[in-house]
Amino acid sequence: MPKDDRTPKGTPLATEKAEKQAAAHQAVDILHEISTILNCHLDRRTVSICISLIENGINPEALASVVKELRAEAQEVQIESASRQR
Amino acid sequence: MSLGNNSRISSAIDSLIAHLVPADPDDDDQTSKERHDNCFELVRSILENPGSPAVSSDVNHASDLIKRKLIQTNPSQALRFSNLYTRLLSLPVLNQKWAILYLLYQLSDSPDPNEPLPLSPLRQLRQPVHREPRPRQEKERQPRVAAPTQTSQEDEAFNDAFAPGGLRGFPPEQATRGPGNERATSGQSTHNEPKREPRNVSLKSTLLADNSVVIEPSETALLRDLPFTLQGLSSTTLPFSKETSLKLPPTLPPPLISLLHTLAEPSLLYRGLSTFVTSPAGGLLGQSLRSAINNELRSYLSLVATLEAQIRRALSSLDESAPRGGIGKAGVTLKRCVVWTREATMGLRLMSLIAEESKSKRGGQLVSLIHGFSAAHGDPIVAAFAERLLAHVTRPFYDILRRWIYDGELLDPFLEFFVKEQRPSDDDRKDLKAKGLTSVWNSKYEVDDAMVPSIITADFAQKVFLIGKSLNFIRHSCGDSQWVEAYSKTSSKELRYGDTATLEAWIDEAYKTTMQRLMQLMSSKFHLFDHLQALKNYILLGQGDFIALLMESLAANLDRPAGAQYRHTLTAQLEHAIRGSNAQYDSPDVLRRLDARMLQLSHGDIGWDCFTLEYKIDAPVDVVVTEWGNRQYLKVFNFLWRIKRVEFALASTWRRCMTGARGVLQTDDEAVLQTWKSTRGVLAEMVHFVGQLQYYILFEVIESSWTELQKNIRKEDCTLDDLIRAHTKYLTAITQKGLLGAKRKQHVEQDNVEDRNSYMVQLGELLRTMLAYRDSVDGLYSWSVSDFTRRQEADAADLLGRNVHGGVDSPDPFSSAAAGGQVRSEMPALQERLRQLGASFRTRLQILLGDLAYQPDVDMRFLGVAMNFNDVYQPVRRKTKTAGVPSTGEKGKG
Repeated sequence: MPKDDRTPKGTPLATEKAEKQAAAHQAVDILHEISTILNCHLDRRTVSICISLIENGINPEALASVVKELRAEAQEVQIESASRQR
Repeated sequence: MSLGNNSRISSAIDSLIAHLVPADPDDDDQTSKERHDNCFELVRSILENPGSPAVSSDVNHASDLIKRKLIQTNPSQALRFSNLYTRLLSLPVLNQKWAILYLLYQLSDSPDPNEPLPLSPLRQLRQPVHREPRPRQEKERQPRVAAPTQTSQEDEAFNDAFAPGGLRGFPPEQATRGPGNERATSGQSTHNEPKREPRNVSLKSTLLADNSVVIEPSETALLRDLPFTLQGLSSTTLPFSKETSLKLPPTLPPPLISLLHTLAEPSLLYRGLSTFVTSPAGGLLGQSLRSAINNELRSYLSLVATLEAQIRRALSSLDESAPRGGIGKAGVTLKRCVVWTREATMGLRLMSLIAEESKSKRGGQLVSLIHGFSAAHGDPIVAAFAERLLAHVTRPFYDILRRWIYDGELLDPFLEFFVKEQRPSDDDRKDLKAKGLTSVWNSKYEVDDAMVPSIITADFAQKVFLIGKSLNFIRHSCGDSQWVEAYSKTSSKELRYGDTATLEAWIDEAYKTTMQRLMQLMSSKFHLFDHLQALKNYILLGQGDFIALLMESLAANLDRPAGAQYRHTLTAQLEHAIRGSNAQYDSPDVLRRLDARMLQLSHGDIGWDCFTLEYKIDAPVDVVVTEWGNRQYLKVFNFLWRIKRVEFALASTWRRCMTGARGVLQTDDEAVLQTWKSTRGVLAEMVHFVGQLQYYILFEVIESSWTELQKNIRKEDCTLDDLIRAHTKYLTAITQKGLLGAKRKQHVEQDNVEDRNSYMVQLGELLRTMLAYRDSVDGLYSWSVSDFTRRQEADAADLLGRNVHGGVDSPDPFSSAAAGGQVRSEMPALQERLRQLGASFRTRLQILLGDLAYQPDVDMRFLGVAMNFNDVYQPVRRKTKTAGVPSTGEKGKG
């Protein structure tokens, strides 16, 4: 991971970690906001998962279709459960 | 990349699935697990696809895409996005930022997963894709899924109608979905049927759009060529065949043709206008019109440029494989271009209309033409457009106007202003010149009514004209150019179209200043009012003592023939009269101008007929007292002088008779006494007549007109024009009422041409009769004197003889009888002549009174009443007397 390479020598690992966490948190915040502007209907958790997937080298276009597919699936589940309740 | 060996990725996928696909509470663990696995499989299969390599890994590209999308849909959020984006860039943690943004972009505007989805073609497609891995489940589920179909039975027919369209939409959609989808098509026919919900409008329009035929050339080609066409350039699809016609491709369907017709209009108008702009202009206003139109054309071109940019962008982002070349989604179509160019087309239309009409117009007419559009056109857009155009076009006009009202100079090389210099070659101008009605003031410039633009009213134009004319006059005729220069320096302002109220205020101010200055010059520097007063005093005999003295001193001189009059004697007598009367207190400037001279001599005239007083007027006062005015003054003077002379003559005769009556005229002869008595009666009548006439002319006519004139020229805002007009009116009133110019009704004098100036002729006759009568009275007087002498001599001789000869004188009776017979023989002739002249005078007077009684003018009727206040005369109507006049006239002459 490229992020790990940036660890400077002589810095306590705990502080380093906390800083990174804060930055990641901020990034998720910003991206979540952008996604709201763009009407993506993604919640924070989904956003952070997507970020980690992409940081791991997943093709964004493919990921987009994955999200869409999964949503369709979820809907289907919903419809099914709804029809079952009827 | 491979996914299998990366546990991180698989765990992330797991959590994603768990998060996005909630477990069905009704399902048992087994099914949930199975579903989860299925999903995982699916996700893996998608992720392992190589994906589209088209996406460039540039962070800016993704953000640009988002930004553009936001600007189109929701511009207010675009700014917010840019803020967020910069913050994101500054974060150190992520190094695949573009990819995340791209993901968000892809997911943007995706339907909310928590809302029930409307059925979209996408969803119809998707179903088979993820159904594929688990066909077994599918079969179980089908009956359940089909259940809602029953509830919407009625929709079925409706949807069927669109089915072909829906099917036709598949292939392009499939193409984008990659190879994985091929398998799906097998299940499609069975699975897209059940899920029927009411479709939304966007779907229908998509279906409709797909339902089109292929056109040649395609709309994209047309769009590509459109900017050139709009700039008036030929292109392959849309060539200009002639200067004024555009050739449309014949293969297009009628709706497109009509669209292209609409688009052809601005192109052709632009071509026409651009040639108009480069054509030579026949004047400053024409040039400014061309430049204004050129400006408008430039803004039109910038519109075309924007249009072209839009078209380019749309064409570059076009998806060639989409139906109709995907043009419906690109945002730029021919129709949209029509809408965009509509307003510009209106402007072009208006401009070409103006350009066309301006060919036959120039100057003020041009301004009126455009102003007509801005003021009278009902369409506010047209009006506003014309208004804008007007601001540019009128600039040279206002420049000329400014020069004119602040400098008094006409700077108009193309004759476009509404004030122009008069050309002396015109016929009517020559006519006026001959009549002496022209002057520097009113014949240098004139207003050309046809050139007065409608932005200023006629009143206003008149004012502007007067201002400039006055300034010009002050500068050139009054020799006061310093003042004009100072004035133009201090008050010169930039005039512009638009604020009419301010402009009017400025012009009013300029008007007031100029007029004040001009009047001040006229009264203080050129003593105009003093001159008018002097004219009245001397020429119109207002100064009684002066005239009396002049007449007395000249009388002996003027009785001699006209040839024996010498100028030096006349001027000497004039000087004497001035010295001896109150005139000596008048200003030397006035007296210097007073001159006595003789008119042209004609044979047999005596001094009285030719003598005239003259008052010399020089520039610039001669704009008020014109040549014509001078002639009128002379005319009045001559008439008054004649009356005065008759009065003088009658008065001297009367005086002689009165003094004589106590001495030499005493006689015992009844007949002689009778003659004297009637003669005195007639003389008294004549004196009364002359007195009334003089009173009337001097007081009723001249003084009242003078008061009127004073009232007019002392007014607060009197202009030189008003002054000239008032003075002309004054002179006309005097000549008309003073019986000099009054003409009797036309139909009466049709048979009698010499009666044209009836009163003048009648009065002339009357005055002549009176002079002749006076001569006769003088004759009678001398006869009486000689008779008296003879009688005295006879008495003396008688006395002598009686004393010397003792009463008998033989030769004396003979001589005395002879002498008495000779003297006595003159008596009847004199009697007869006096009687005839008296009768003639009375007849003429009665005719005059008859005419006066039917005058429309009250003052003249009043003159008749004053002369005949006790009804001594029987006024005779000319109509009934026409036959009688010649007979009495002949009798009088005989």
